[in-house]
Formats: sequence, C-alpha cells, structure tokens
Amino acid sequence: MNAGGALASLRRVASAAWIVGVFVFLFAPLVVVVGASFDGGERTFLNFPPRELSWRWYGRISPDLFHSLGLSVLLGLATACIACLVGVPAALGLVRAQFRGKALVAAAFRAPLQVPAVVIGVSFLKLFYLVGDVTGIYLVGTLPGLIVAHSFLATPYVIGSVSAVLQRFNSRLEEAALSLGASRWRTFTRVTLPVIMPGVYAGAMYAFLVSFGDVPVALFLGAGSMQPFAAKIFHLMEFDFDPTLLAISTFIIVGSMAAIWLLQRAVGLEELARSSGGN
Amino acid sequence: MSAGNGPQFAEIAVLSANDERVRMKARWHLVLVPSLLLSLFLLLSSQIAFLRGSFFKDLRLGRLGTELTAENYIRFFTDSLYLDSLLLTIRLSATVALVTLLIGYPVAYILARMRSRWSLVLLAAIIAASFITIVIKVLGLIIIFSSGGVLNRFLLAVGFVERPVTIMGSPAGVVVGLMHFTMGFAVLLLYSVIRTIPRSLEEAAEIHGAPRWRVFLRVVVPLSLPGIVVTALIVFNLCMGAFTSAALIGGGKVFTLPVLIQQTVIMQTRYAMGATVSAVLMAVTLLINLLSVVLLAKFDRRKGAVA
Repeated sequence: MNAGGALASLRRVASAAWIVGVFVFLFAPLVVVVGASFDGGERTFLNFPPRELSWRWYGRISPDLFHSLGLSVLLGLATACIACLVGVPAALGLVRAQFRGKALVAAAFRAPLQVPAVVIGVSFLKLFYLVGDVTGIYLVGTLPGLIVAHSFLATPYVIGSVSAVLQRFNSRLEEAALSLGASRWRTFTRVTLPVIMPGVYAGAMYAFLVSFGDVPVALFLGAGSMQPFAAKIFHLMEFDFDPTLLAISTFIIVGSMAAIWLLQRAVGLEELARSSGGN
Repeated sequence: MSAGNGPQFAEIAVLSANDERVRMKARWHLVLVPSLLLSLFLLLSSQIAFLRGSFFKDLRLGRLGTELTAENYIRFFTDSLYLDSLLLTIRLSATVALVTLLIGYPVAYILARMRSRWSLVLLAAIIAASFITIVIKVLGLIIIFSSGGVLNRFLLAVGFVERPVTIMGSPAGVVVGLMHFTMGFAVLLLYSVIRTIPRSLEEAAEIHGAPRWRVFLRVVVPLSLPGIVVTALIVFNLCMGAFTSAALIGGGKVFTLPVLIQQTVIMQTRYAMGATVSAVLMAVTLLINLLSVVLLAKFDRRKGAVA
C-alpha cells in the first residue's frame, strides 16, 4: 500500500495548493490595499509591500469621505431594518403557507435579483420623477429615495436567509408552547421568533453589505452631498488615484471582516454558511 | 438557540406532520400579502415607468415622442455598437461562468469533504471576501497590476513577459474582476449541493476499485450536475448585469451592456435608448436561462432513456 499512501498524500498536497491558490486570488487585492495604505512614499502610485511605514494617508482622509461613509452606514442600517420588516413575513408566508401559484410568488420576490442593478437604478430614477410630478415629493438625491431602492435590492437576501432557517424549523417547539396553553401570538414572539433570529441577523447583515457595496443604483439616485461611500469612491477612481482612498478602504475591509466575525459569533458558522445566497 | 439538530430533527418533523391537534395554524398566506404587494408595486411601477420608454422615439434629455414605434429596437439590432456590446457581454459572462466553475468546484468539493471545522472557517472567509465591495477590490487590483508593482517586477525579472502586463481596459481584466465577485457565491452554492451527496456513494465506488479521480468524475460530478447548471446560470446572470467591475476595470474600453446603459442614460440622456438596451439585456438573459433549462431537461431524459 506504499504507492497508495504516496498517492493519497500527493492528493492532499494538491488539494491544499488549490485552496491556497484560490484564497490568494480572493484576498490579494484586500491585503494589497491594507498594505499599501501604510506606504509612506510621496508618489501618485503606492507600493506594496510598503517601502517605509507611515500613517500619513490616514491623517489626510478628507471630511467629505467620512461624510459619505457615515451616510452609507446610516443607509445600510435603514435598508437592513426595512428589508427585514418586509422580508421576514414574506419568508414566513413562503415557507409555511400552502397555496396555488406559490412558485410564482416566490419568483416575484426573487425578481430584484434578476434585474441588473443598473436597470434598477435608472428605473427607480424614472419612477421617482413620475412620483414627484404627481405628488410634488421628489425622492431623487434624497436619503429616503436611496433607502427605498436599496431595500428593494436587499429584501431577497433576507427572504433567502430566513427561509433557510424556517425550512429546518422544529415545529415541535411551537406545538409544545401551544399545548401548554400559550396563545398563538405569544408562541410566535416567544418561540418562533427567537429560533429564526439567526436567519434574521444573517439576512440583515447581507442587506447591509449589499446596500453598502452598491454603486450602480447610487450613481443614479445619489447626488451632491447624498453620495454613498462606494459610489463616491467610484467617482474618485474615475478621475485620479488618491492614496487616502486606500486608507479609508482599510477601515472598510477591517470593518466588514469584523462584522462577519461578529455575525459568526452570534449565529454560528453553520448558519452563516447555510443562509447566505441560499435562494 | 440553534434550530436544526440533524437526524433526530428530521424524525420529529415527520412525526409532527401527522399531528393536526396542535399546529401553528396562522393564516400564513395572509402574512406575506403586504410584503408581496409592496414588492410587486415597486417592481412593476419602476420597470413599466422605465421600459415603456423603449417604444417611443428618443428626443434626448429624457423627453419621449408620443407615437409608438419600434425604431429603438430596430436600431439596436442594426447598429454594430449595440450588437457588439451584446455579444461581448454574453461572451464575457459565459467565460466567467466557466472559469468560476472550473476553479470553484474543486474548492467546494474539498471543503465539503473536509473532516474538520476548518472547512466552515474557510467557507466563512470566502463569504466575507465576496461581500466586500468590489470598488475596494478593484483598488487592490490596480496596485497589483501597476507597471511598477510586485507582480510586474516579478514577471519581468523572471523574463516571463517583456512589457508590464496590465488588466486595466482589457476584457481579460474584466473577467478577473467579475470572478472576484462570483467566486464566493459559486463555492457556497456548490458546497451545499455536494454536501447533499452521501459520502457512502463515493466509498462504495472506491471499494470496488475505482481510483479517486474516476470516482470524482463519474460519481460526484454527474450527481451534482443540476447544481452545477444552476450555479453556472446564477454566475452568468450576475455577470450579465454586473456594472461596477466592468466600468472600473474596463476603463471606458470594454463596453458591456450595463456600462452602455449607464452611458446612454447619464452621458447622452437618451432614456428611450437606455430602456431599449435594458429590455434587450433582460430578455436575452432570460432566453439563455430558459434555453439552458430546456436543454438540461432534454439531456436528462435522454440519459434516463439510456440507463
């Protein structure tokens, strides 16, 4: 069995190499951004690995960038809340009710994932103009307008992650509560909701990240001081390469990783892996 | 507070399915009505408001003619600018779907068959990486591929290339950019598909003397074929609509349809033409999806007939 053993270890090495290769591919741009942000050279292009370490670029981040970062966080939080308010009942209905045309309803809820984000951006722009002409309330370039469009974009993610949890729901738990005399509402708030919470947290997180990372929708609906962070960076990159972008991006990378790590602590790795993109 | 508890949970689920006395008998279908109405309203009103413009003459600056016309569609299918862009978008998306599968499938397989908790940690890392905004990853890619950057200094030193390589402004670069954003989804989907294939099937094939690569190709891959097709389609669809990496890495040289839509609407303020391009983009994507599903069904039936 010597040849077999050699073959097995060769396979193990090949597997490890493949995984390492893919991780290098995925993480190299992030590592490079973080590393280059500490480069002290006075050049238009920064170096990785940095030649001399410096915090210089961190001190030069413009207040404008911090402003749009704050806006994005606010927008992401609002989006996450609304996506959950819309998505959790939708998931409950989709998983638990039996009715004709359920596949069609499910497809309707998934539709925002099928429409290219650019098209969502332009069509909401057009819709907001129409609404404005009728009601006099113009949503283009306002925070509420961005929240509406981002919630539309992010709700399918919440439906997906909550559905994933609901499908594995142990209905005995509810039955126990009901048979012990709890009302249906009490059973829902004290049993059902706590059990599906991991799915809700995961969905809210994805909703936040979808909103935070969106460029195309924000390009159409954000304007002036209402420019979310990702769209702002997009514009800045079209003109020039500014090293302070690397510095503030480092905050984002660390923040996103920390958020996923916290989520993982709260809901467990298994749930995190199961509930993402699970539609 | 974890919900799923493996096999015993499945047993209980089967038992309780027959027990009608105490169930949460809420009107669940009514629960989803407000969400459905809201989602449908936003979807339909926005899409109709925008796409109906494609049937009217484009007077620029967002103004439309009053008579119905197919002019925009005729223009799309006769002007090489639009046709080339459509073909480029399809080609790039298909390439990304193929490469993502070829690279991602082994990753998903290795992680799914790993016997330690590390597999979940690695999976979570992939999720984390794919949810970080593409704008930041493009910043990193620019530095990696800059002419004085690590990669090019290395390649030049080794003599691999004569001039610094760049991915900016090239279709290949856009493929790399898109893969950064599809890889996470693909690995995740394939991972969950492979996890549903019992390991015992592979062990059975191995006991009968099949080498591992043969087991992989003849047992694992065929059993996960529907999952592979679904993943390929999801990646394909994501790429057909992808804007940011195409716009940033393409640098005004790689005009995929989403980039063209943004340009047509924002730079040229031709909403009707923008709507036409959008409508064609979505119709073609849908058509390719339907076609693949039909082909897969046919393929499945023929295989069933042979077996």
